[in-house]
Amino acid sequence: MDKPILQLTDIRKSFLAVRALKGVSFDLTAGEVHALLGENGAGKSTLIKVITGAHQPDTGAIQVNGNIVEKLTPASAHKLGIAAIYQQPALFPDLSVAENIALSLEPPKTFRRIRWNARHDQARQLLDRVGAKIDPDAEVRSLSMPEQQLVEIAKALGTGARILIMDEPTASLTHTEVQLLLGVVRDLRTQGVGIIYISHRLEEIFQIADRVTVLRDGESVGTNPVSKINEASLIKLMVGREVASIYPPSETQPRDVVVSLKNLGCASSGVRGVSFDVRAGEIFGLAGLVGAGRTELARILFGITPADGGEISLNGKAIQIHSPREAVEHGIAYVPEDRRRHGVILEMSIAANMTMAIHPQFFPGAWLRFGKEEAFAQTYIRDLQIKAFGPEAPGGSLSGGNQQKVALARWLATKPKVLILDEPTQGVDVGAKSEIHKIIRRLAAQGLAVIMISSDLPEILGMSDRIGVMRGGTVTGILDGKTADPHSVMAAALGQTEGINA
Amino acid sequence: MKKYFREISVAIALGILLLVMAIVAPGFYQPQPLLSLLTREAPTIVIACGMALVIIARQIDISVGSQFAVCSVCAGLLAAKGWPLPIVFLSSVFFGVLMGAVNGWLVAGLKLPSIVVTLATMVTLRQGLNMARQGEFVNLPDTVQWFGLSQVGGQWLLVTASVALLVVMAFAMKLLSAGRFVYAVGTDAEASRLSGIRPQLVTFSTFAFIGALTGLAAMMNIAQSPQVQPLSGTGLELKVIAAVVVGGVAISGGRGNLWGVFAGLLLLACVSPALTHLHVEAYWEKAIQGGIILLAVVTDGLRTRKQKT
Amino acid sequence: MNTDKHGWKRILLRHETILLFVLVVEWLLFYYFGTSMNRRGITVGFGTMDRQFDILRHSCEIGLLALALTPVILTGGIDLSIGSLLGLTAIVFGKLWHDAHLSIGMAAVCAVGVGALAGGLNATLITTLRIPALIVTLGTYSLFRGLAEAITHGSVTYTDFPASFLFLGQERWLGLPAQAWLFIVVAIATWLLVHRTTFGRSFRAIGFSPEGTRYAGISVERRLTMVYVLAGIVAALAAIIYTARLGQAKADAGTGYELFAITAVVLGGTSIFGGIGSVHGTLLGVAAIAVLKNGLACLPIVIRHNSAEELSGMMTGALLLLALCSSVLPKILSTWRSRRQSHLPQQTKIA
Repeated sequence: MDKPILQLTDIRKSFLAVRALKGVSFDLTAGEVHALLGENGAGKSTLIKVITGAHQPDTGAIQVNGNIVEKLTPASAHKLGIAAIYQQPALFPDLSVAENIALSLEPPKTFRRIRWNARHDQARQLLDRVGAKIDPDAEVRSLSMPEQQLVEIAKALGTGARILIMDEPTASLTHTEVQLLLGVVRDLRTQGVGIIYISHRLEEIFQIADRVTVLRDGESVGTNPVSKINEASLIKLMVGREVASIYPPSETQPRDVVVSLKNLGCASSGVRGVSFDVRAGEIFGLAGLVGAGRTELARILFGITPADGGEISLNGKAIQIHSPREAVEHGIAYVPEDRRRHGVILEMSIAANMTMAIHPQFFPGAWLRFGKEEAFAQTYIRDLQIKAFGPEAPGGSLSGGNQQKVALARWLATKPKVLILDEPTQGVDVGAKSEIHKIIRRLAAQGLAVIMISSDLPEILGMSDRIGVMRGGTVTGILDGKTADPHSVMAAALGQTEGINA
Repeated sequence: MKKYFREISVAIALGILLLVMAIVAPGFYQPQPLLSLLTREAPTIVIACGMALVIIARQIDISVGSQFAVCSVCAGLLAAKGWPLPIVFLSSVFFGVLMGAVNGWLVAGLKLPSIVVTLATMVTLRQGLNMARQGEFVNLPDTVQWFGLSQVGGQWLLVTASVALLVVMAFAMKLLSAGRFVYAVGTDAEASRLSGIRPQLVTFSTFAFIGALTGLAAMMNIAQSPQVQPLSGTGLELKVIAAVVVGGVAISGGRGNLWGVFAGLLLLACVSPALTHLHVEAYWEKAIQGGIILLAVVTDGLRTRKQKT
Repeated sequence: MNTDKHGWKRILLRHETILLFVLVVEWLLFYYFGTSMNRRGITVGFGTMDRQFDILRHSCEIGLLALALTPVILTGGIDLSIGSLLGLTAIVFGKLWHDAHLSIGMAAVCAVGVGALAGGLNATLITTLRIPALIVTLGTYSLFRGLAEAITHGSVTYTDFPASFLFLGQERWLGLPAQAWLFIVVAIATWLLVHRTTFGRSFRAIGFSPEGTRYAGISVERRLTMVYVLAGIVAALAAIIYTARLGQAKADAGTGYELFAITAVVLGGTSIFGGIGSVHGTLLGVAAIAVLKNGLACLPIVIRHNSAEELSGMMTGALLLLALCSSVLPKILSTWRSRRQSHLPQQTKIA
């Protein structure tokens, strides 16, 4: 094989106490597609940020075209011909395609005549190189998602990129759109561009990649030519670890069905044909990769993006949910994924955050009772062991795990029938994590129907009574929590049909 | 076509109004009153060019009316003292730039919300001017009126100058990279910073620029009458903002162009004379203008809502 | 945590406390420099009770508008149309009484109803079409004023109100100017609404994070509608006392009042971005502006130049700018400090 155009040796990177990369080595040659694979949180995005210069590694060497690069910054990475394309295109939506391309290519000089014809031609050429039939004068806003991806690629090529990182470019594309994009990737490869390709879709990797590197827990667990590996062994590499039995055991027998979904869908958020039941006292885990539609499903159940098809029934009665307010009235609670934006209001006190969803019941006549509220908040602070200076401390002053407990307390206060938890322990330290797990288990024991979305595979396996696996906006399999293993969940999430014992 | 939907629909509305006038009240099309109408609007056209820039950059300036009055009075005083006209002209623009720069510094430098900043400068400037002048008019020497030309000649000069400025600006916004920076900053300040544009500098410049244009407009204003009123320009800011919004510039920044602003301004300006010729009483003017603004924003709102679903 | 020490410091450094201090100093200065004896040995100027009542009487209308605006700005919105709405409701009130021969009470109820409807129009456009409040109320600013002009044909003013009605605007009741009682009632009601009810809580929440509030199961649309409708109602009340004070209803009533009201609210420490602010702050802001305006009118030097109105207006604008700059001062200082600190060794930061 040729000399590598990019070589990373023993890259280490820590954020405070978290070791995100524990000595990763990686290389890329010109005209190669090198796939990068791993679970959510395995260290892929950190590695990419190191390559694009957004993060400085703690130790380790980076070589580009055989030369050691001392300090890689976004600007110097750009000059070295490193470009990245993300799942969500970062373009100016109000400007034309040609202009978006030009803005990234031309040095920003204030008073210079813009030669629209030259811009147009330049854009046309670059778009031709990626085989896109897009009018350079079209507004980016009017383009479809894959078209915007192609514009991003054209932009990257325009800057003379020799190393192109594609971070889940196909996550929001349909099958035919994916094929189109893969065609473009093949063309680029023949033009001698080195491509780092990240995707959760195994079939794409087998279609397009030359080599594949699997990351797990911040370590590289092997680089193999694609021709010498199969899907099963890839999945094994990704999950290959024991699920530690640190999770509190399930104690109760599930009772009656509380919530039942039939063929539920919402076109605007890409969720379709979801059917499952959740019983009282049961923890129903929702597994799947990022973009599989899990959060979107939760948002439908909570009325943020109301369903446009199918049926939700609660205790056997069909209900309609058009807004979060209605969801709360029906006894559905949702602890959102993005707790800093949606879960707690950072500027407001813990006490105010906790009573927020129960204003009508807790404050009859809309009249605030500060003493009662403070006492109420105190009980939750004690019960959930929230570490804070007191009920008056603003939500923003707490650590992630304690913020999550405040969000949880807000929803427990509503005495819900159904509790939806979206990534309940993401960004939470280990101690708080196991406390939150105990709380969730206790709630289920009290008869709540719990739906728990998580990208943390051990958590899903350790906590769930049953596991629904989502892929492409729908539930593709439901596994028994006792018999499921990492392999079967990952296989279902990646779309490998064998191993699903619905 | 779809891209310029908004501008075209305003132009069509204007066309329909003009057509209705041609059929129902041909008296509307007498050359002299029309020329006078356009002359009266000339300063507004000039300021609207600047306001369009400010709003495209996702800011707003409601102090232009006060700036306009300050520039008018200062220029008038200098002219009355017998300073040569070109110097008066330059100092009017200079005062405008100065006031605009203060706004720009407060907004771009201190990151204060432009609406409140310009509200404060609006009140301060207006009241300061009133205090200094006590409602006194400035009598101008004859040389200033119509810049020494005949009335018709002066009117033609003002109208052509303002329209020429608008045309040049419209092309500059399209053809000069500085113009494109304004769009980029209004669309996404952070992304434009990453593309090497300096958003704060752009914001500051738009405010300084609208100040300069206000100074220019003030000169166009004082040329039209033998005296300068210290109260001139009251409510001008809303008139200009209304024209810009009706012309399709999005208040959320990044969208719109000066051709639409021109059509919007003419549409609003024609309401009053059209009412007179249609024998509708003139006191409906403001209500109708308010209605037009609301209609424009409601169609925008409906369109974006449709796009989202 | 040594709460006591910090608590005191925090109270002393609060915007409202500083403003109160400024107000007291302002008042004392005017009392000292603005009060004098006339030739017959009677005290005149700022220090007299009559003057103090005058200040109160004249600040009621702008005060009411500022009260109405406080919840609006707390939610992160703005209402430019309330000055125009004051004009429109004054005209509706005058016309219904004068031309439709309704009783004063009925006319007042109808005017308040029109105010509520107008606020509802603002709210509908803002919540259902998601148009920024600034631009919606800019449109209704023109529309309401224009309707007032259209109703009166631009020139009619309604006068000859009965003395019993004028009492509300021109006489004293229980020792205070009559309209001050209305103002006090509205002020207390607004204070309770903002500081003591769940509604006020949710206004702040919306101001901090509209999405976060929605995720807490609170209907943001309903709360916003409430805020703008209340603003309309209060504007109508202000229109009624305006009419009673001047004895006439005219289309240009309340022109430019919205600016003074916004100034008072922002001066009172309410953040234009929403979330932070208080009703008592607004009251202090109103008082600071009113005292400034009236106090200046009593200063001999200002009387000689006959420029009290303009000077106070200018000072109000300058005060607003100052308040704005002081609001970003801590932020600028902290970034400056952190920039300096980053040059220091790392260990100081962690401790």
